[in-house]
This record gives sequence, C-alpha cells and structure tokens, in this order.
Amino acid sequence: MAIIHAEAAPETRGALVASGINLSFGGIDVLKGVDLDLRPGLVTGLIGPNGAGKTSLFNCLTGLYHPNRGRIALGDTALDVLSPARRAGLGMVRSFQHMALSPDLTLLENVMTGLTLSRRSGWGSAFLPMPRGRAETQDARRRAMAALDELGIAGAADLAPPELPPGTQRLGEIARALVGGPKVLLLDEPAAGLNAVETRDLTRALRRVMHPALIMVVVEHDMDLIMQLCDQIYVLNFGKVIACGSPEAVQADPEVLRVYLGAGDE
Amino acid sequence: MAVSELVHPEGAIRSPARAVPDLRKWLAALVVAVLAVLPMLSGSFLLYSLSLCFANAIAVLSVSVLVRYGGEVSIGHSFFVALGAYTVAVMEKHLGLGLWISLPVALLMGFAAGLLFAVPSRRMSGIYLAVASMALALSLPELLIHMERWTGGFEGLYISRDLLPGVAKAGQRYYFALAALILVCLAMAHFRGSRQGMALLLARAHPRAAEAFGITRSWARISVFALSATLASLSGAVVAFASSTVSPNSFTLWSGIFYLVGSVVSLQGTSLLAALVGGGIITLVPQYLAGAGDYVPILYGSALLIVTLLANSGSGLRRLLPGKGA
Repeated sequence: MAIIHAEAAPETRGALVASGINLSFGGIDVLKGVDLDLRPGLVTGLIGPNGAGKTSLFNCLTGLYHPNRGRIALGDTALDVLSPARRAGLGMVRSFQHMALSPDLTLLENVMTGLTLSRRSGWGSAFLPMPRGRAETQDARRRAMAALDELGIAGAADLAPPELPPGTQRLGEIARALVGGPKVLLLDEPAAGLNAVETRDLTRALRRVMHPALIMVVVEHDMDLIMQLCDQIYVLNFGKVIACGSPEAVQADPEVLRVYLGAGDE
Repeated sequence: MAVSELVHPEGAIRSPARAVPDLRKWLAALVVAVLAVLPMLSGSFLLYSLSLCFANAIAVLSVSVLVRYGGEVSIGHSFFVALGAYTVAVMEKHLGLGLWISLPVALLMGFAAGLLFAVPSRRMSGIYLAVASMALALSLPELLIHMERWTGGFEGLYISRDLLPGVAKAGQRYYFALAALILVCLAMAHFRGSRQGMALLLARAHPRAAEAFGITRSWARISVFALSATLASLSGAVVAFASSTVSPNSFTLWSGIFYLVGSVVSLQGTSLLAALVGGGIITLVPQYLAGAGDYVPILYGSALLIVTLLANSGSGLRRLLPGKGA
C-alpha cells in the first residue's frame, strides 16, 4: 500500500483524528484499521469505488455507526460513545446524500433549524410573543439569511424546498450546516443529482465558505469536484486506506490508478 | 397578535406561491366577528351546540398537532380529553373549586399524562402507537366506572359553578369555549414559527438530519405528545364547562376515532378555520342529522366521504384550510 503523506497542515490543534477504525456487519469487515488525520483549514476528500467503505467511515465519524475497534477524537474530546446529537453539540455537522430539508419549512426556516442548539428561548416563548423569544428569532433569521447570502441563494429564502432546483436545495443544506459556525463540516455526496453547472457553483461556494478553523470532509464520486476542492484525499478500497495525499499525488499513485482504471490488471 | 395569525403562523416566511390569500385572512376575521355577535341573534340550543363544537375543535386540533408535528396518529385522545373534563368536575364536586383553579390543574394533568404515555412509547410509531393509544381509550370507561366514589360512575358528575357569577350561563359557556379556541389557535400559530416548532417539523420529515443538529427523536416524540395531550385536556375542561356534565359515555373509543376523523377532514390544519371544520364535522353534523333516524350513519358517512374527497382533491377547500406548512 502506498501512503503518500500530505503536506504539513496549517493547524494541528482541534484536529479530527480517527485511528485503527474497524467496523463489521454480520462478520463482514467493512472497515479495516482505517486511520484519518483531518486538520482545521483543510478540505479532505474521501473517495473510492462503490463498496469501499466511504459512507460507513463517514457514518462512524458522524456517530450513526459505532466502530467495533478504534478511536475517534475531536481535539482532546473522545467521540466514541457520543450520539450524533452530542457530536452536533461539539460543532460537528453534516449534510446528507439524499436531500434532508423539511418540505413544511421555507429554505430560510430550514437553515434556522441549524441554530437549534444555540438558541435558548423556552417553551413560553414558543407559544407567546415574549420579547426575548422575538429577539432571538430575529437574530436567527438574520444569521440564516447571511448564510444563504454567502452561498448566493438568498433570493430563494422564502421558497419551500419542493419549489427549488436540486442545486439550490443542496446549497441550502450546506447553509444549514454552516449557520451555527461548525468546527467540522461533513458533506455526504454533495454533488449527487446535480448537473455540471450546479456542481461547478457548488464547488465555488464550498471554496468560498472554507476558513482556517474549519475541517471540511467530502465524500464524493465526482472526481472533478474532489480534485478542484480538496487539499488532501484519502482513497479507500475494500475498507482500507490505499492512498492519502494531495490531489496531484493521489492521481499519480499506481495503486489508485489500478483501482479506478484497472491499469495493470491485464 | 393579529387576526391573520389565526390562518397563518407568525414568522412563517411567505413565498409568492404559498402566500396566504387575503381572502383567508378576511374569512377568518369575518368568522370571528360573526361568532362574536351570534349570541345576540340566536337561540340557546345553537349556542350550546356551538360551545361543544368549539370544545371539540380544540380536541381535533390536539390530534392535528400530533399528526403534523409528530407524524403520528392517535385514536385514544379521548383519554386525555376525559382527564381534563373529570379534573374540572372532580375538583368542583369534591373540593368546591371553580374553573379558575381547575383549568390550570387540568392542563397540568394532561401534560403529565402525555409525558407518562410518551416516555415508554417513544420508540413506537405508526400502527403500533395507534394501537397503544387505543388501549388508553378502551380502558377509560371501565376506569371511570370503577372509581365511582370520585367520578360518579355511570351517571357521571355535574358542573354547576359559574366562571363569572351573575352572567348568563349560556353566554358564559359560549364565550369561554370560543375564547379558548381562538387563544389555542393563536398560540399554535406562534408555535409554528418558534425554535421548537421548526425543530419538530424537521424531526418529523428527516429524523436523522434533525439528530445531526441536536434534535433527538426522543425529545421530539415526548415534546409533541405532551403538547398534544395538554391541548386535549384543555378541550376536556372546556367540554365539561360547556356541557355542564361529564360521564363515561362521552369519552369512549369512538370519541377518539371521531377526533381523528375531524383532524383528517380539516387536513390536520391548526388554523381557526381548520379547527372549526373539524369540530363542526364531529359535533354539528351528527346533531343536525339526528332527525334522519336510521339514516344517520349513512348520511354522516356520506358527508364525511364528500368532505374528505373534496379536501384531498386540490379543491378550494384545501387552499382555505392550510394543512402542511401552515
């Protein structure tokens, strides 16, 4: 296995580190000793053929799956036994492969749900127009609008998701994930279902929202997006990391070429 | 809060396609105005019927809240309605306390009962939750009869204390029930735009996505059931005051099924108009069809079928009674 080490990351504190992750379902090993080092300020891509274990690894990071062995930590905090909701409280948010916006809420309101954990208004404010609740709602609306504006879709704020094209919905999901100022943003196939123009806009938008304190992880099949967006890439095959490094290094890796193109098989 | 909030929640962002037609605002305002002056123009039987209609409209709305915000169905809400009704009746009969005190107690009882039911059943959904709620309703009449010393057994209890001494009883019943319904609709309109309301709507549509933002399924289920049970209990308190009597026959499994029917025909809406349609269908229609004798079930069933088909056909009724998203 050729492991190509990424260039020194700009920040090592607060990194999301997974070490020795093993996961099996019914005796079938899905992940075998996977190590990840995801640092703030870097966009990391997780790629691999179908069945490589990308989504399983992603679900381990987000807490939907709990590994049989191995450790996952964000900075000094061990995440192993924390639920997705608890991980959200630590600043880890994710988007979903299938659109997961509520059709009963407008796009702006969907983004406001990304602030649920940081809002403190009680049940009294939920039923009565109390000043504190109103002020908090206005603040949440302002922040949600700013997130939409940053991604260039503020014009769609008042529309319901079913009225929007897939690209705008996807950006809306990302706005919801970003609005609370997360430490870790995990994107599960963000370009799924998007056309070329929408994928290009998405890539630009993700580049725009990236900042030195953010860890961004992208699971994606669209290689153009991965190569343009990511600073480092992990390549998985049959539950193992077969390569890791910069886009250029990964593209030149013989093992990766063999897996993706079948080079040398004949 | 404005009357317009009776038909559309505060804080909901209005898209051009989803904008509330002015017609709906004016219709709600007109309905409130007509209902406010009705006692000066009509007889006591109509006022009595409408008082019960308003009370039942709150019960229908409590089921609609469970459906819309929790995505679940209950056919046993008559249990929580009875809890509120008997709380008012028992506190008057045995403690000599009037509605000013028993009403808040009824709300607390409904809330507590909702929590007690929701916590152990929080992982149940769909048909299993519906059957579990049915068990509540089935056990209720026997429970009430068995506790005869407190509940009056088969005969039930009477509520005779006035809310406002010196004011005509029919007027008190009517305006109290109407005010309770309007306040509940206003509160639910505000709730739709709240942090909790939006979180529940996301949790209903995409539980995993909601969990990724800190909204757990357990919180969502327990919150929505406690809220729904509290509203149902309020409905029971209003029923008790409006009808001046409570008995086991008023809170059977059929009552719970009819609350669900009311919710379906009102498109699970929580606006005043939707609640009135639901309350009217289960209160006024049977009363005014009563003269048809043996044909009542057929006529009632036909009326329900027509309303349900109209409501789900994309007709004007759907636009007037906002279901999803309103």
